[in-house]
Amino acid sequence: MTDILRILISPLVWLASFSAVYGLHGLICGHGIEGDVLGFPLQRVLMVAAYAAAILLQVMLVAGLSAQRFSSPSAFVRFVSRVTAWVGLVATVWSLLPVVTTTYCL
Amino acid sequence: MLVGASVIFGFVMVLLVLAFRKHDDAPRERLWIVKLGLVFPIAVLLALLAYGLFVGERLLPRQGADVVSVKAEGRMWAWRFSYADVEGRTTQGVLHIPAGVPVDVAVTSVDVVHSFWVPRLAGKLDAIPGHVNVLRIEADEPGTYHGRSAEFSGEGYDQFAFTVVAHDDAEWRSFLAGEIE
Amino acid sequence: MKALERHRRMTETWASDPGFKGWFSTVSHTDLGRMFLVTAFFFFLVGGILAMLIRAQLATPHSAFAGPEIYNQLFTMHGTIMMFLFAIPTFEGLAVYLLPKMLGTRDLAFPRLTAYGYWCYVFGGSMLLFSMLFGIAPDGGWFMYPPLTGPLYSPGINTDFWLIGITFVEISAIAAAAEITVSILKYRAPGMSLDKMPIFAWYALVTALMILTGFPPLILGSVLLEVERAFGLPFFQAELGGDSLLWQHLFWLFGHPEVYIIFLPAAGVISTVLPVMCRTTLLGYGWIVAAAVALAFLSFGLWVHHMFTTGIPHMGLAFFSAASTLVAVPTGVQIFAWIGTMWKGRPDLRLPMLHILGFFITFVIGGLTGVMVAVVPFDWQAHDTAFVTAHLHYVLFGGFVFPILAGLYYWLPHFTGRLRFFRLGELAFVLIFVGFHVTFLAMHWVGLLGQRRRISTYQPEDGWTVINLISSIGGFVVALGIGIVIIEVILHAVAARRSARNPWGAGSLEWAMLTPAPAYNFASLPHVTSRNPLADNPDLAVELAQGKGYLAAPSRWRETLTVEVASGKPDYHVIYPGNTRLPIVMSAVTGIFFLSLLVKFYWTVPVAVIGVAVLAWRWVWELGRKDDLPAQSIGHDVELPNTVAVDHAPGWWGSLFLLTANATFFGSLIFGFAFLWTVAPGWPPPVWFEPSAIELGLGILGGLVAVVAMRLALRANDRARSPLPMLGVAFAGTLAVAAACGLLMLRTPAPAEHAYGATLLVMGGYGLFHAALVSLMVVFLIARVSRGFTSPVRRAEFPIVVLWTDYLALVGAFTLLAAHLTGYLA
Repeated sequence: MTDILRILISPLVWLASFSAVYGLHGLICGHGIEGDVLGFPLQRVLMVAAYAAAILLQVMLVAGLSAQRFSSPSAFVRFVSRVTAWVGLVATVWSLLPVVTTTYCL
Repeated sequence: MLVGASVIFGFVMVLLVLAFRKHDDAPRERLWIVKLGLVFPIAVLLALLAYGLFVGERLLPRQGADVVSVKAEGRMWAWRFSYADVEGRTTQGVLHIPAGVPVDVAVTSVDVVHSFWVPRLAGKLDAIPGHVNVLRIEADEPGTYHGRSAEFSGEGYDQFAFTVVAHDDAEWRSFLAGEIE
Repeated sequence: MKALERHRRMTETWASDPGFKGWFSTVSHTDLGRMFLVTAFFFFLVGGILAMLIRAQLATPHSAFAGPEIYNQLFTMHGTIMMFLFAIPTFEGLAVYLLPKMLGTRDLAFPRLTAYGYWCYVFGGSMLLFSMLFGIAPDGGWFMYPPLTGPLYSPGINTDFWLIGITFVEISAIAAAAEITVSILKYRAPGMSLDKMPIFAWYALVTALMILTGFPPLILGSVLLEVERAFGLPFFQAELGGDSLLWQHLFWLFGHPEVYIIFLPAAGVISTVLPVMCRTTLLGYGWIVAAAVALAFLSFGLWVHHMFTTGIPHMGLAFFSAASTLVAVPTGVQIFAWIGTMWKGRPDLRLPMLHILGFFITFVIGGLTGVMVAVVPFDWQAHDTAFVTAHLHYVLFGGFVFPILAGLYYWLPHFTGRLRFFRLGELAFVLIFVGFHVTFLAMHWVGLLGQRRRISTYQPEDGWTVINLISSIGGFVVALGIGIVIIEVILHAVAARRSARNPWGAGSLEWAMLTPAPAYNFASLPHVTSRNPLADNPDLAVELAQGKGYLAAPSRWRETLTVEVASGKPDYHVIYPGNTRLPIVMSAVTGIFFLSLLVKFYWTVPVAVIGVAVLAWRWVWELGRKDDLPAQSIGHDVELPNTVAVDHAPGWWGSLFLLTANATFFGSLIFGFAFLWTVAPGWPPPVWFEPSAIELGLGILGGLVAVVAMRLALRANDRARSPLPMLGVAFAGTLAVAAACGLLMLRTPAPAEHAYGATLLVMGGYGLFHAALVSLMVVFLIARVSRGFTSPVRRAEFPIVVLWTDYLALVGAFTLLAAHLTGYLA
């Protein structure tokens, strides 16, 4: 079962952070959260922070699943879990990219 | 987009046909999976995504000085339009707008989900009970444009249509003054 | 012992009852897989006839063939039948039939559950057929958007048929998915570690996990909408704090993964058949596994792309647009891995290969138009036009029907033991392929010209007449092709020449047996050392029949063994239940429950619920033993404990995955609550729930007590002391949870007047139901202990109840906190 988890964990974390950032955007817009931090709008700062945290989490997963200590004894599972770890990282960077490029709450 | 899609389709088909002629003895995972399966789609899709985000950003209904606001209220199976510029003025089935000026249509519904769609002016936007969605449209030329409801709404859906009349300056002023029905 | 003698004795143990009566009591995966496939194909024909009626209606403008009232039923039922009664059951049937054979074992994990799922599918499907025959079929579109399908605008019974019938059918999907998951993880031949599994098993595993997490949102949506229709609790009515957008979220949270739930098994068929057709092995096995996993997850991040026109904020759309383009990458990996496989081997243009080529051409076009509609501005124009209809048919027909036809012709010799003789299949392929492209290329075109979906007629001056006529003619050509396929399959079954074993020269285990398959699959179980055991050892079938593998000794029980999930080392010994009518009876009683709700005959509802509970009790009770079974020898000097003695028996694994689906259901409910709270108009509610620290404490503490007491009961049993006192305490704990949830339901403020109260009522009901269920399980254990069915060795039922108790404590606490805390906050 641990091996199955190794394969599933990174995309699962992507799904969770993707939903979380989508929900955060909904909350920010629905509740009229406003303000600014160092000249940047608070809304953008919050979302970029969440984006960065999600990426950091995925980088840690890639590192963890590549490290001897946490990777599987089976070469096959090692390979698949590293590929899915990269899938999680790329998906996080890619799908949440609008956080930095796009107008919010419109 | 159509050209790009055709080129990709043609490329895949050529690879398929060649499979029947050539024969690789060495299984080349790196070529097939990494280069063709990963790098190629990622490059194409990244370009497409950037384009989509850019165009989407341009279509946003931003605040402007000379935006005309109208309201579209859908019901089974008719649209009722009202105008911010004239208090109490409503029209049924015909939306009057000025040409050459951006118009924000506030779309809502009083019964089931409908969708406001004037193919030549903009994309579609749903009318959802309890929500008001704003669609930016703009007619470059005065004239009559056909509109349809584009969300299935039961038995009257087939015939559920409306028209948009875009007026030039003079006509629009007379509409506002109540001289055009 | 000679192979023939072994065959005779094994057959005695494993055979279903003779004659057609055997259909009702069979639990064999071979029988049930065939029954699933035949029934699903029947529904395919029904859905196809509906498609023909739709095309007949649209062939000419002003057609008087069907008015909107009938036409709306036609397209609603076409979509519903193809999705729920054809595509998903076809996957289930194929997996049920093939998996144990491919994995080198004798049956699936829960043979009776296979049968129960099948009969639920048949009965639920019959309800929908019945509604169609009487002209009262659902007519709100297969997506059933409220408020159109709500009590105000669809007062008739039509919509109820959909909500109740489909939920009934979903039971079979969830049952099959839990079973397939456990079977793939545990029921394999010794030595088959994860990297040696046939690729189809990987695809089936991913698909099954997706069903477990994808279907619950739909089931929840259906339950809520039916409750709104029947009892007036407003979940989707904007003026009472509900929101019709909630339905769209729940529906597409299911609906998009559904597309991949349909595609992945078909991709599994291609990955299995294509290498055999090219006389080689699959290129990039590990990459393909990773791509399937990636596809499964990404598909859960796409649901909003069906809602691009609902006025969701721009950035929200951009997230889903980005994720939607990304999903093309793992699809691309698979496509190029398959083409690479063809380059690596020497492709032969045999019939399954033709259908695979049909798949490639059609699916690639569908994928490319899919990328187009993932771009938001384009979608705003194309959405709800015939363009999207055409796109989805390219994806589903190309991505499912062509591969399934390839699979049909590939495994036909396995089903019948015969080879094709009349060669009608090539003609059928040409007709289907050409007809399909004529139909749907035309439909793309007319969609770009502005023809909307779901209209029953159009005007001559629209200028769509010729294109629609061409499209309809294409449709009838497809129908002709499908007709020829049917004729060929029938001819094949009655009048073809006998086939040798393994006619395609495949390397996977399903061909290492007699065809048609014997009831027991393998006379002895192989030891697997590679991905293509039959290619390594062409004599494998004979050796297994001679009893050179594991569990070779015929016994009066139906025996098999399980393996450790990752390594494939033998784990424990399993005895299956035999033929029984219990599944069909239980699904009939389940059907009475749904039927009572449908016709609003509420006094039979509790009767049916009690009936199901009694039958379920008997179902589990029958598995008990009064004597300790010693460790069993499986041959080759290996001894394994029996299921009764282990921590994680099949029932535990089944519960784990059932609870996964259950937790998704509960999570969707919590999501719905949060969504209404933050997005729906008409909040805050007029009255808030009156919180009570006593009730909250009672429920949470009760759950904790039950959790601890169940563990102590397990420990007492293991140490040969009586577990009864602790079981009593656990029972009291579950009653406390039940009481807290019951009080929550009683005190919920005006559930019919605001979505807040309505949601609390449903959450309380969910908690109460689980408390009742777990207390029944504890009572069951008490009965087991008192009747002498347990011992320190016979202990496997304890961990299962522990698992359910943990779940109860968790969801009970969540439910109560959600209700009471919101009360405090207000």
